[in-house]
Amino acid sequence: MLSWMTFIPLLGAAVVLTLPRQQHNLIRLVSVVATAIPLVLGVVLFLRFDRTTAAMQFVERAPWIASFNIEYYFGVDGLSFPMVLLTVLLSFLCIFASWGIEKGVKGYFAMFLFLESGMMGVFCALDFFFFFIFWEAMLLPMYFLIGIWGGKDKVYAAIKFFLYTLFGSVLMLLVMIGMYYYSEPHTFDLLKLAELRPFAGKTLELFGTALPMDKLFWCGLFIGFAIKVPIWPFHTWLPWAHVEAPTAVSVILAGVLLKMGTYGILRMNYPILPEATQWASMGMVVLGVINILYGAFCAMAQKDLKKLVAYSSVSHMGYVIVGMASLNSTGVNGAVLQMFNHGTSTAMLFLLVGVVYDRVHHRWIIKPDGSQGFGGIAAVVPVYTGMMALAVFASLGLPGLSGFISEALVFLGAFSVPRFQTMVVVSSLGIVLGAAYLLWMFMRVFLGPLNEEHKDLEDMNWRERLMLVPLCILVIVLGVYPMPVLELMRVSVAQLVSYFG
Amino acid sequence: MTPELISSLKQFAPEGVIISGLVFLFIMDAILPSSRESRLPLFVVLFSCILGALVTIGVIPTEASSLFSGVIQSDGVTTFFRLLFFFSCAGGTLLAYETKVLDRDSLSEFSLLILCVTFGMCLMASATNVLMLYIGIETVSIISFVMAGLKRDDARSNEASLKYLIFGAVASAIMIYGFSLIYGVTGSLNYGDIAKALIEGGGEPKWAILLSMVMVYVGLAYKISAFPLHFWTPDVYEGAPTPVTAFFSIAPKAAGFGAAIRFFLCVLSTPGEAGVWTPMALGHGAWTQAIAVLSVLTMLVGNLSAIGQKNVKRILAYSSVAHVGYLLMGFVSANAFGVTAVLFYLVAYCLMNLGAFWVVGLVADRKKSEDLEAFKGVGWEDPFLGVTMAIFLFSLTGIPMFSGFVGKFLLFSNVVQTPGFLWLAVIGVLNSVVSLFYYANILKAMWLDKPDTVVEAPVSSVHRIALAVLAIPTMVLGLYFEPILKVTQSLVATFR
Repeated sequence: MLSWMTFIPLLGAAVVLTLPRQQHNLIRLVSVVATAIPLVLGVVLFLRFDRTTAAMQFVERAPWIASFNIEYYFGVDGLSFPMVLLTVLLSFLCIFASWGIEKGVKGYFAMFLFLESGMMGVFCALDFFFFFIFWEAMLLPMYFLIGIWGGKDKVYAAIKFFLYTLFGSVLMLLVMIGMYYYSEPHTFDLLKLAELRPFAGKTLELFGTALPMDKLFWCGLFIGFAIKVPIWPFHTWLPWAHVEAPTAVSVILAGVLLKMGTYGILRMNYPILPEATQWASMGMVVLGVINILYGAFCAMAQKDLKKLVAYSSVSHMGYVIVGMASLNSTGVNGAVLQMFNHGTSTAMLFLLVGVVYDRVHHRWIIKPDGSQGFGGIAAVVPVYTGMMALAVFASLGLPGLSGFISEALVFLGAFSVPRFQTMVVVSSLGIVLGAAYLLWMFMRVFLGPLNEEHKDLEDMNWRERLMLVPLCILVIVLGVYPMPVLELMRVSVAQLVSYFG
Repeated sequence: MTPELISSLKQFAPEGVIISGLVFLFIMDAILPSSRESRLPLFVVLFSCILGALVTIGVIPTEASSLFSGVIQSDGVTTFFRLLFFFSCAGGTLLAYETKVLDRDSLSEFSLLILCVTFGMCLMASATNVLMLYIGIETVSIISFVMAGLKRDDARSNEASLKYLIFGAVASAIMIYGFSLIYGVTGSLNYGDIAKALIEGGGEPKWAILLSMVMVYVGLAYKISAFPLHFWTPDVYEGAPTPVTAFFSIAPKAAGFGAAIRFFLCVLSTPGEAGVWTPMALGHGAWTQAIAVLSVLTMLVGNLSAIGQKNVKRILAYSSVAHVGYLLMGFVSANAFGVTAVLFYLVAYCLMNLGAFWVVGLVADRKKSEDLEAFKGVGWEDPFLGVTMAIFLFSLTGIPMFSGFVGKFLLFSNVVQTPGFLWLAVIGVLNSVVSLFYYANILKAMWLDKPDTVVEAPVSSVHRIALAVLAIPTMVLGLYFEPILKVTQSLVATFR
């Protein structure tokens, strides 16, 4: 089942490539089908998912490369399954957000479907080598999606993204090889490695100094994943990539790709290197707090709507890091829930920015010449304004909407660790800042006197409404009753934190 | 004839096929002058290569055997290199005939020369005697000078030839001086005897041995274009006709590695249990440490110089220097795994580099230029070229799904396994990030930039098939490399 979910989009990409170039609607239709099937399968799995076990479910495994004991190994647990759901949902919605692409339609949708396969593979793979293939394979479509279909600085943004991520992944590659050779028996199996945990107490010689092996591995993996999250100071690719990418790709970037970083840390660093994780937890909290505050301050200074949303992602991923670093079930539950909730709320924001950009071809809150880019458009586009209000409130953590619960859990979890308390107090400033930049933006764009330039702005059409409604529903439902997602992860998280006694 | 000679000749049959092809070409050229204008020489080369490959497969040795009183060794590694050479010879010739780089008249010369080089390379990769090695290297070098200058009225081609010649002459002079020192110290020319004498001598006289080995390294480094003897590479690669460059960038390099494997492991190491060697001390430490440093320097020089280049052939030339740096990492462990990694990487490298140069040749054909500018928008003009080039370049970068990644994975595995060399692996992986920068530059021109002028020139189906033949294994080997790995391992197992 997981294989189907992973490879049907790839199959769809192959079909798209065989279609004639001019058949735009046919290509789009195939893409809808190729993303709808994984979504339906995802729902089926959601109903069948056993919420009482931390073991891997829907496992599919077969030997692949016997010389290195590499396996074709798929399976999901409570950590990965919410991400899988997020991936299939957002990919499906993004096909509709890509409807307006007119240049190289065939290539675009083929790349997009290829990307979905890559993301699914990352969340489902349980063999390190297998995981790594998906992790890197995803870079290729992303490079082209940003570089060909992006905005005006697309080329720079694309290469910056590619170089940063590759830098992280080559470190991961070394750790992968190291883990294989320093485990007995040699294995790439992530569960087996988590069971053996063979790296604590050994040393490795690097540049003439003997370093503790587990901490070295931990740092290598962490840098690789931190670039994806992105954790300060590795975040500089993000504003470029998010701003230059076409709307749908920004959604995928912020909604799914960033979560791969935190997911990777939870899947590898935590269970395989728990001692080193404990050693590094204080550092993680500090980085998380920097992320929260730095992202928020940067967001506040932005004059471009999309950049503001991009920096808000940096800030919100900081909460995930803080929650994870708490190493207790409340915090980690909060972190994983925040990963999911940020996926939905930030996707809404990016989609909405895309909607207005499609109409007026700019997204300045304040134009470079100092005049207001928008202003008062609530009067002409009421539906759009309503949706934006919902997204903004969800994002800033208004009680009753999804963001609130996960952020609250994160803070609760982190505050219960005595040595983190100061940091948590400092980071709670991020909530205030978050409210400030988001409401400020809302005020300048939607409220006040109507900017005459935009008096003919059209409200959202049926396609745009359709792609946002599911997200609106999720944001509200999970704000009131988060249990459907929390229940998925509860047992797995409990098992994960049990490593930290 | 003695029985030893007969059995030697049997093992030497693949080379015999190539020589027969050569003789046939000579005679044909003499009695049938009109064949120069036809494709007949092409078919002779292809036929010789295919037949040579079949014969090679027919005589795969199950164990190592010395031929012709120990000047040549026939084992699995020999087999491997023969196949690789025949494949790249056929590929290079096909590329020469199908692009318009060389005029009709030079093509029959090209055929003759490339077969001759192939023979020389076979000698290089199987020699176990320093004089035999020297003869192999010289055969390859002298003919390579001619091949680089095949475009007689092109000043760049002439320059390339001359530079190649001067560098080559100096390097081989130094190398043979090194051989004479070795002979002076050990009193022998055969690898086995040299190794024995070195062990018995207890590494004395230390400085003479060190000096002679440095000199031999100079000769080998010239052949594989490793630091510090890589300077000729960009000029020669840029100036030589593209099919010649494509061939140069893979086959003679592979031959150099064949020679290096034998020299490093048979002369400079003492065999332990099967597949493991103990590297001899040379100067202050084992030679493996020196190789590690040279590997780092080679990849750094290659990658950093490639970044600023504007000519795609120069970029690929410097990138090929960087790849030599990666390949040298295979030697640090001095064991069968390292040799396997080198051989696997050579297969991957052969496919992807030949492919990349092939695309460059085609683009140069339609745009009359090899500058980055000429590549603008080629991907949109002809998606097939664009996609295959993307595959080759991503593979050269070492991105998963492509064979180049598997090659790098094996090489890095080799380094990580060897205690004390983790630093080499760290520098190595960072280098592959640097390399992405210039490979992506080519891709950027092909896909992300707008073409200045659209040239409608459909690519013939021969090229499409050839590119597919190179691109498909590049992908398949990236995803499922078990069979070829097993074959390579079993070939290496017979090497000692």
